[in-house]
Amino acid sequence: MGYSDPTASRDLLGNRSLCFIFICAFGLVTLLQQILYGKNYIKSGQQFSRLKGEEVGNWSGLISYPDDGGMKPARNGRKRYLERIDGSLQFNSSSCKELRQDITDVKVLTMVKTSELFERWRNLQVCKWDQNKEETDNFKMSLSRCCNAPSFLFTTKRNTPSGTKLRYEVDTSGILHISPEIFKMFPDDMPFSKSQFKKCAVIGNGGIIKNSKCGREIDASDFVFRCNIPPVSDLYSQDVGSKTDLVTINPSIITERFQKLEKWRKPFYEVLQNYENSSVVLPAFYNTRNTDVSFRVKYMLDDFESSRGVFFFHPQYLLNVQRFWAVQGVRAKRLSSGLMLVTAAMELCEEVHLYGFWAFPMNPSGIFITHHYYDNVKPRPGFHAMPYEIFNFMHMHARGIVHVHTGPCR
Amino acid sequence: MVSLRCHRSKYIWATLGVLALLWLYIFPVYRIPSDKEMVEEVLRQGQTWSRNQTAVELYRKLLTDCCNPKRMFAVTKENSPLGKVLWYDGEFYHYHTVTNETYPIFVQDTPLQLPLKRCSVVGNGGVLKHSGCGNEIDRADFIMRCNLPPLSKDYTDDVGTKTHLVSANPSIIEKSFQNLLWSRKSFVESMKAYGSSYIYIPAFSMKPGTDPSLRAYHALADSSSNQTVLFANPDFLKNVGIFWKNHGVHGKRLSTGLFLVSLALGLCEEVTAYGFWPFSVGLDERPVSHHYYDNILPSSRFHAMPEEFLQLWHLHKSGTLRMRVGSCAKERMELKREK
Repeated sequence: MGYSDPTASRDLLGNRSLCFIFICAFGLVTLLQQILYGKNYIKSGQQFSRLKGEEVGNWSGLISYPDDGGMKPARNGRKRYLERIDGSLQFNSSSCKELRQDITDVKVLTMVKTSELFERWRNLQVCKWDQNKEETDNFKMSLSRCCNAPSFLFTTKRNTPSGTKLRYEVDTSGILHISPEIFKMFPDDMPFSKSQFKKCAVIGNGGIIKNSKCGREIDASDFVFRCNIPPVSDLYSQDVGSKTDLVTINPSIITERFQKLEKWRKPFYEVLQNYENSSVVLPAFYNTRNTDVSFRVKYMLDDFESSRGVFFFHPQYLLNVQRFWAVQGVRAKRLSSGLMLVTAAMELCEEVHLYGFWAFPMNPSGIFITHHYYDNVKPRPGFHAMPYEIFNFMHMHARGIVHVHTGPCR
Repeated sequence: MVSLRCHRSKYIWATLGVLALLWLYIFPVYRIPSDKEMVEEVLRQGQTWSRNQTAVELYRKLLTDCCNPKRMFAVTKENSPLGKVLWYDGEFYHYHTVTNETYPIFVQDTPLQLPLKRCSVVGNGGVLKHSGCGNEIDRADFIMRCNLPPLSKDYTDDVGTKTHLVSANPSIIEKSFQNLLWSRKSFVESMKAYGSSYIYIPAFSMKPGTDPSLRAYHALADSSSNQTVLFANPDFLKNVGIFWKNHGVHGKRLSTGLFLVSLALGLCEEVTAYGFWPFSVGLDERPVSHHYYDNILPSSRFHAMPEEFLQLWHLHKSGTLRMRVGSCAKERMELKREK
């Protein structure tokens, strides 16, 4: 009883140790985040330079070029602002070449202020858009090498035979064994081929499409892609059209709005009836939670004896697309459905038009707009990198690869 | 020494008391007849049967007093309002509170058009095979069937085609239709065999059975089926269980057939039961399958089918309920010969 504990003064996992552990953990996480998602401007610049081979030798010249660029847009802006006539200048005019160059000069999104970027984009609207055959073919070739949508966009009986151990997109979800029951749900072969459609429209649901009156133009396309079962009722058809050939569904929509199809199924079936006889695409093999819900969509359509096609994105295709765009500067935990569809459309169509692709809170004129044309629900943070996606589309528009529509249609 | 003896004596007597209680509980005081004895008893009774109106009315009163089948056999908006707590009858502890999600799927009130005159309760016993009872079953005003039995052309002569109420155990939905989580087409197709009938589902008997039962309702509603889903009232099932426990059926849980017979005795003026035969030997003393469509034996942990049959047989002999065990075709031939 008279003894004292000899280890009383020892600091075993005491305050100092805990502080040390937390500081190390914080530093480690920060280091990992920098490695995985760090913004490496020089590397990004090099990547862009590599894509445009002619500029590799002029790398040192780019250092002073932004200063010149900063001077030009102000002058040009004043000129063009007075005219304010959309699409009046020809594609090959010298003014339009300069305006397109103003867009491509912005190498990364954070290089200039958003208002400056918006002004350059606004100025570019006076120019007609025409496809740059060479640039487009180069882009399609690089896409074909990395992703090959005509063969691997969906899981089919041909590219995913029975017994395959299909690896999920999310590594922690492991592997899915393709049983004969699952194999039966796949189509025999890819329903689309390379450059099968001449003119395609991809609808991105952005609030910028509101009051645009693009519906007729969209419906005149040969093939229309839509994202995440957006409403196409009479209330919106003037702006977004009603024709639908392919529509994606995020399984989280089915989970939130339709109780994973474990209870009622008819309401979801009736929602799909809005999209004519279009095919439905789901990312079934993103993770295990998506698989059950996506398969249930297929079963639900069988329950109602619907002939609508149900396809599942091939996880390897989505991984390849993600890597492709990471090189372009779009680093996201998960690509948005819109970007997936644009990537697929680039390989399946000759000419691609984008409507409603705008992820900024205001339009190019600085007026605030809703996130979607039908609501203002913001996306979940930490998943998509949509401003970077839109920035890339603006670049592709300026280079003549895709036509991005942000203004009203005539 | 005296206190030590006293202690030993207490322990010994306590142990003997416990053993006696166990003996009485596990082994009832009377002995269930064997299959052969039961066959002899049925054959001794013969095919003649006369209805005893007094016994019928007495039994209906007994059932009405204990269980009130007219008002309580199904969960309705009237007997289970919003917020009511439905304690499960097959499990302790579990309950289901009626919410805005479940309340709309209940029927407003008991939908049966009472009084029902002639009722057939069709069990699935193997004695129905080659019995030729199909036409006789179909002549009833109200026909109840157990556990979604197959009614394909192979069985029409023996079990009939009409159905007014068919019970569906959640375990069947789980085993035969993958819990209705995936394809529901086979379920909806198989239900068409029962025409525009009531589907009687004990959704609130055991916790695992609730979700499949609700999904069965959703599946039929989605397909615009003309069938009506009725959920069995757990209070009714519990009271029926207590009633039969007081009348000599000591199983852990009553079989669906006995529930339906109780319902029929409480609602119908004239009840005939077909296909109730839990023994492995038929009247011709040859082996008989457990069901007329397969020979999967029941899980003996739950039901006490021989005891149930014995009680029903007592009702048959007293003129309360008619049990059709033999061949209907043979009886028609005998009647023709007598004329």
